[in-house]
Amino acid sequence: MSMESRETVAVQIGQPARAERIAGLLQAAREGQQDAVGQLVTELSPLLWQVARAAGLSTGDAEDVLQTAWLRLLDHLGDIHAAGALTAWLVTTTRREAWRVRAVARRQVPSDTEWLDAVPDSAPGAEELAVTHEQRRQLWAALGRLPERCQELLRIVAFVPRPDYDVVAAELGMPRGSIGPTRGRCLAKLRELLSSGAEGTFE
Amino acid sequence: MDEGDFALLHDIREMFLAVDPMPASLPERIRFSLALRELEFEVARLSAEEDEGLLVARGAEQSRTVTFDSDSLTIMIRIDLNCDGTARLDGWMAPPQRRVVDLRIGSDQLTVDADERGRFVFSRVPRGSAQLVVRAQPGQPGCGRAVVTPALIL
Repeated sequence: MSMESRETVAVQIGQPARAERIAGLLQAAREGQQDAVGQLVTELSPLLWQVARAAGLSTGDAEDVLQTAWLRLLDHLGDIHAAGALTAWLVTTTRREAWRVRAVARRQVPSDTEWLDAVPDSAPGAEELAVTHEQRRQLWAALGRLPERCQELLRIVAFVPRPDYDVVAAELGMPRGSIGPTRGRCLAKLRELLSSGAEGTFE
Repeated sequence: MDEGDFALLHDIREMFLAVDPMPASLPERIRFSLALRELEFEVARLSAEEDEGLLVARGAEQSRTVTFDSDSLTIMIRIDLNCDGTARLDGWMAPPQRRVVDLRIGSDQLTVDADERGRFVFSRVPRGSAQLVVRAQPGQPGCGRAVVTPALIL
């Protein structure tokens, strides 16, 4: 396994420990420990990166959005009382700021760019690949054929720890319990595309 | 959601980690900019909040008192609701001193002067999420850093 996938599995397995760690850091941050905020930045920025990029931002704009979100958190620490609420607040703040920046960018440079275009051209080409990369390329292609809202939602949800689903869903504007059905519908559609083996071309 | 769904979400995460990971240096750069902000501003913390609805009533509206503490300054604010739906802020600073006070609401900013007793007033401001910045008057020597409060809801 790559370093990243080992870390990913460890994060999934260690969910209770992770939630406890974040709760401790949040409390320390609320008490004014600057280093605690820094550790939260390290812990949660990978998720927020995906949120910003899922909104279709360039890498530069995504970086700016994350910085804005964290600076804004400093001013609202007093309002956040639980680890799950922190994740939801950060995801929502990042997403709103990303959409705002995207709207500004689109006004300046009219385009119907989907998020796939914002990703660097490092997506592997078919002729060079081993089986695992071929599977990834199929997943990539299938995702690209989903409605935009499904693409964004699945990308975010894939990085939100399971215990935080309900709170994040509420913040994303979905009624409690509906993130399941909506995510379920998006996932069902994705599975359908993958099993049909259709290799769609996408603009 | 079944195990197939969980596995698929796992694959999606793996894929994005591989093709579009967060730049490794980004957290450190963000931490640096947060630290810069600490250097530029003295951050005040909420130290007390009281509703005085029963004790200090103006008609039917409630009064609220909020106190912030920073290293160099204590700021107490009383928030009242005006009849026209706006808010009024009466502020006191200790130690008493002349300063300039900005009230930031969204992208707007209102500015007033605090007098030598550290007293300032914003008589009609829109309600919502706001922050105060207390800074030196132009040409005022030896004032130290500007002080910023956390967001408060008017």
